[in-house]
Amino acid sequence: MRIATGVLVSLALAVAAAQAGKTQTVNGLQMTVGGVKLMERAGLRDCPPGTNTVNAVQRPGDQLSVVTVAFKVLPDFKPRPPGTMKRPVATAADGTAYNTSVQFVDVGSVPEYSCDFVYRVPSGTVLKTLQIEDAKFDLSALDK
Amino acid sequence: MEIDRRAFIASLGGPAAVALMDHEAKAEALEHYMEDKLDEMVAAQQPEKFPTVAEIEAQIETRPFRRGTGGVFTGQRGQNVKKLEPMPDKPTLFDYFNLRFAPANHVLQSATRAMKTGMSEEIILACLLHDCVLSLIKPDHGWWGAQLFEPYIPEKSAFAIRYHQTLRFYPDQEAGYEYPDQYYRIFGHDYTPPKYIEDTYKMLKNHKWYMEPRLVTVNDLYAFDPNAKVSIEPFTDIIGRHFKQPKEGLGYDNSSSAHMWRTLARPDNPL
Repeated sequence: MRIATGVLVSLALAVAAAQAGKTQTVNGLQMTVGGVKLMERAGLRDCPPGTNTVNAVQRPGDQLSVVTVAFKVLPDFKPRPPGTMKRPVATAADGTAYNTSVQFVDVGSVPEYSCDFVYRVPSGTVLKTLQIEDAKFDLSALDK
Repeated sequence: MEIDRRAFIASLGGPAAVALMDHEAKAEALEHYMEDKLDEMVAAQQPEKFPTVAEIEAQIETRPFRRGTGGVFTGQRGQNVKKLEPMPDKPTLFDYFNLRFAPANHVLQSATRAMKTGMSEEIILACLLHDCVLSLIKPDHGWWGAQLFEPYIPEKSAFAIRYHQTLRFYPDQEAGYEYPDQYYRIFGHDYTPPKYIEDTYKMLKNHKWYMEPRLVTVNDLYAFDPNAKVSIEPFTDIIGRHFKQPKEGLGYDNSSSAHMWRTLARPDNPL
């Protein structure tokens, strides 16, 4: 019983560590959060970077928090129907969830790529987590 | 600096072209590519100064035409207009795409993206048609566009075309729509939509079909790349299933918008 509990605790700790870490894999798509930066103007390109050339522009009272994520398509990646992969959601320290206008389009079409997910948030907001499908990334150390 | 290998190779004309280059030429090309990319990155970091509404208004008397004039009535970049190819006797939607809406890159890209993001066929069709009427007239293009296509397409597609114009002015974070920087340029950074647009927005917010025009705006955002290769062929089946092509030809079926199609067919008629 004690051993089983120990194994469970170890597993839980391993899962928590993986979730807090910067690299996670979902459905054969490896994702690594590179960083969070503030920009006055940010491109709303699709992910993988597509044809869009439209930008978001910072407005008074807002800031554009941009989370950079590197993607690698692994051999066990299985394509899913168009539109299945939802846009990543960022959560601030106060629990408020923010959506991005950047959308996944043909995620398996390029073996490796990097995407900038743009979040319009109130000035001074610090992002805490980023959720992509089942993967949750801890941004606390990155967004300062 | 991170280099997108595929984009770099594509910029040189593809793998076959790269294979013909010696090492020195490749190194030089890479250097140029990186310089260009760096310039782009620096430009992207520069805060752009957007015009005011007053500045845009001040430009009115500097042009020989009004900004609302449809594309078939004006020359490209101030040049004279060109003679248009005549339309067939019984023109189809494809004929208008090829002979009057061409190159139609914007709507084709928009519909391509809608297809890639899993939109319904009604929305893909709406994306494909949403700005075609700009060839005829520009102000209130949502209403004009819906009127042009209404006799031939599903009600939801017409609704989406009519009201995408209104929703373009209102960001919707949940739906993934951001106010486009292009609107700061063309309307002015201090522009506020007129009351009828505000009233229409209030109506739409509570409408059961709110998401139909909203999804057109979501896909509208991403479609201004002049280099993207797109064609109408992938939409042949959707058009076949949802566009009621009149046997007399568009413009000759006595529909409520037949005269609009005829105007597009013969924009050089003096009366």
